[in-house]
Amino acid sequence: MAAPKKAVKSAKPVKAKAKSTAAAPGKIASKQGAKAAGGRKTPDVAAADPTLFDPLTPGEIADALRTLTEDRRLGSMAKVGRYRVICTEPLVVKPPHWMAGHRLARVVVYDYAADRTVDACIDLDAGVVSHLEVTKSQPMLSRDEEALAISIAMTDDRVRAKLMLGDVPQTTMHYWGRNPKDISFARRSAAVIFGRSDGHSSVVAVVDLLDNQVTQVVPAEMW
Amino acid sequence: MSNVINEANWKFHWRLTESAGIMVYLADFKGRRVMWEGSLPYVTVDHQQQSLDVATEASEVHGPWWVPLGTRTIQGPVRVQTFRGGVELSAQFQAGPYQYTQLWRFHDDGRLSPWLTIYGPGVHDQHTYHPHWRFDFDLDGARNDAFERFEGNRWHRVETEGWFPYGGEADESGSVWRQVDVDAGSAINIRPHSWDDAEVFAIRYHDGEWAPYSPRSAAGSQPFPAAYVGDEALDGDDVTLWYVAHVHFDQSFPYTAGPWIKVEGLGS
Repeated sequence: MAAPKKAVKSAKPVKAKAKSTAAAPGKIASKQGAKAAGGRKTPDVAAADPTLFDPLTPGEIADALRTLTEDRRLGSMAKVGRYRVICTEPLVVKPPHWMAGHRLARVVVYDYAADRTVDACIDLDAGVVSHLEVTKSQPMLSRDEEALAISIAMTDDRVRAKLMLGDVPQTTMHYWGRNPKDISFARRSAAVIFGRSDGHSSVVAVVDLLDNQVTQVVPAEMW
Repeated sequence: MSNVINEANWKFHWRLTESAGIMVYLADFKGRRVMWEGSLPYVTVDHQQQSLDVATEASEVHGPWWVPLGTRTIQGPVRVQTFRGGVELSAQFQAGPYQYTQLWRFHDDGRLSPWLTIYGPGVHDQHTYHPHWRFDFDLDGARNDAFERFEGNRWHRVETEGWFPYGGEADESGSVWRQVDVDAGSAINIRPHSWDDAEVFAIRYHDGEWAPYSPRSAAGSQPFPAAYVGDEALDGDDVTLWYVAHVHFDQSFPYTAGPWIKVEGLGS
C-alpha cells in the first residue's frame, strides 16, 4: 500500500540569519501576495531562472550545512554528531510557491544515532530551513559509507576465506533485504561485490553499517 | 562547455547530478516550455534464484540493489553531439560488473528520447534491470494538465493518481500514454519500447515529493515512486510521470531501454 501523502511543511525558521539581501520568508510571501493582489500576472514556469539549477558552490554547501545543523529541531542530531551528509544539491521550486526564484539547497542526512533520514530544503537567500522531513526511509549511501563498507568487508575472515587470488572489491551496491527476517530489511546496509578486474564477480558481502559488521557472505553465482 | 543547448528547434539545459544521471531541465521546443526537469533517479537490479529446489526457495530471497549514476560512477565526460536532425547528450557509467550509457536525444520534429543502454555481465545471468525515469512536463505552464492512457481503442482521461502498465494497446503512432495541456491542446505522447515491459506512474506534483535519493522507503513500505501514489485528482493539475522499464538480462545484451516521447501541438 502506498505511504500516505506527506504534507509539505511550511517554513518555520528558528531564527533567520541577518543577510542584507534577504528578507524573512514570511515577508517574502506577503510581498508576493501583495503583487498578486495588485493584478500582476502569476509567475509561470516559463520564466524560471536557469541559474537556480546551477551546482552549489563550496561556500553554498557549507552555508546550507551550517544552517541545517543550527536548526533547533535537529539539535540532538547535531549534538550527538553521528550523522552522514548524503547529498547536497540545488533545488528549484516552481511558481507560484513562495520560494520560487530563491536559491535553494536540498540536503539529505542520515542520522545514525536515531536511525532516521533528514531531508531538508535550505533557503540560502533567507538563511533558513524552509522544509524539513524526518522519516525512516533510507537514502543512498554516501561515498564515505561505500568506502567504509569495503574496508569492513575486506577485514572479515569469512570474506577473506572465500576470495580467490586476484579478487578485489569491484563496487559497493546500495542494498536492502526483501525478507523481514533479513537484517538488511530494516537496517542500513551495503553489498560489496568482489571479483576480478576483468568484470567477473566472485563473492558478495552484505555489510550492516549500523554495527559495522558483515552479515552475509554469498558466492556471486548464488546471489 | 556550456550547459545550454540551442539546436534542432530545442533549447534545454543539463547538468550531471549526484545520483540521477544527466538531468535535463527547462526544455523548450520551438520556444514553448515542454519540461521543467527530467532525470533517471535510479536503476534497480533484481536477481532471480538459480535453484529449482523448492526447499531452498524461501531462504534465498535477496532484495534489489542499485548504484547511483552520477558524479561518482561516470566514465569520462558528458558528450554533446549533433546528428542528422537533432542533438544528443550521452554519458557512460560503470559500477563493478554493471555498465550503462545514458542518452538524451532531441529531434527537430519534436521527438525526445531519454534512453539507457544497459550492458556489462552483472554478477550472474539471472537478473532484471528496472530503470526509473522521472519527467516533470510543463506544457505551456505547469497547471491545467491531464493524463490519458490508450485503452479499448481510444484515449481515456485518468482521473486520479496511479500505476498504469502497458497492456498491449497503442494508438496508430504507438503511443500508450499522454500528458495533455487542457488549454492549449498540446500533448506529450509516450511510446514504450516494445520489449521494455513498461509502466507509467502518474502522480500529482507536490513540493516535497522531489526525486528521492533512493528507491528505498521505510522498511516494509512500498519503494518510490509507488510510495508517492495516493488517490489525488490529476485532471487539471500539475502532473509528474515516472516511466519504469523491466529488462531481463540475456545473451543479446546490450539493450537500450526507454520511451519515445513526441511533443505534439506546439506550433511555432
